Amino acid sequence: MHIPDAFIPIWQGAIYWLLALVFVALALRWARNEMNEEKLPLVAVLAAGIFALQSFNLPVSMGTSGHLVGGALAAIILGSPFAAIFILTMVLIVQGVLFGDGGITTMGANIINMGVIGGFVGFYSFKGILRMTKSMPVSAFVAAWLACLVPALAAAFEMFFAGTFPLVAGLITMGVYHAVIGILEGLVTIAAIYLITSVRPDLVETGAIRGKEVGP
Amino acid sequence: MKIDNRTFLAAGVIIALLIGVMAVFFASGDPDGLESTALVVQGEKTITGAAPEHAEIQKEIVGRFSYSAPMADYSFSETMGPLEGIIAIGLGTILAFLAVLGIIYAIKKVRPPLQNQ
Repeated sequence: MHIPDAFIPIWQGAIYWLLALVFVALALRWARNEMNEEKLPLVAVLAAGIFALQSFNLPVSMGTSGHLVGGALAAIILGSPFAAIFILTMVLIVQGVLFGDGGITTMGANIINMGVIGGFVGFYSFKGILRMTKSMPVSAFVAAWLACLVPALAAAFEMFFAGTFPLVAGLITMGVYHAVIGILEGLVTIAAIYLITSVRPDLVETGAIRGKEVGP
Repeated sequence: MKIDNRTFLAAGVIIALLIGVMAVFFASGDPDGLESTALVVQGEKTITGAAPEHAEIQKEIVGRFSYSAPMADYSFSETMGPLEGIIAIGLGTILAFLAVLGIIYAIKKVRPPLQNQ
């Protein structure tokens, strides 16, 4: 769902950029306060992994492909939606500037969709569902699915404001595709959480691992 | 199995690079969700139908910003086959990794956090 430059007028892109910068500043503050030598490798590896996963388009039928976004994964593993904003912003900058994957004037919108909305939706739905179900895989799956679907619907609204897509057709089509792509997002997110918690449970935040003693 | 920081870093980067290599060979060439939606609203594709072979996404160029990325679409010379994609995605993976490390070192240097309470 990387929006190219051609899809949004420059002035609207500027508005999304301004809004995105507020969240990027908060994410930088998060990084300054939360980062330590123990967590640094996890953040850097997640950025590398999310970049690689985003380049891997998997077929989702209906003549469409999709890839992991990673907002829920970053937010769940690091225990903050700002972690997702921080990591996704860095990934989107590399993608946009070097590879033309997502535009420059639309980068703000992409940061808002995948980083801010993906991060907040992923983090808080994970927390809420975990409290109800007590199941990490169920919570992570639903959180990741929502963190794929909701940003796609937000993008459909942005496309409507830009005059690129009609509202209803845009919402339905974006919704259908990303509801399917979100299933992949959910499965990969669960797998990544299991992988990381099995080798470094001490690095993983929040309730991603339950019932396990964490610590020295 | 528990591993230390250095092993975690190395293993993490290697796994990311392997995912990138697999992406070059196995990634779907179908348009992504946003592009597919663009084709649908243009009337070139149905929601559940296959992507048309030569469909072009109409892009409003007038009055829109345009930028030519040095390695657009993860290729740069189109003469090296799959190796080119591997180099591009590998480079991007390493850059994302280094960018995060660099930014964190930079902001930590500017204002170090209070340590040891």
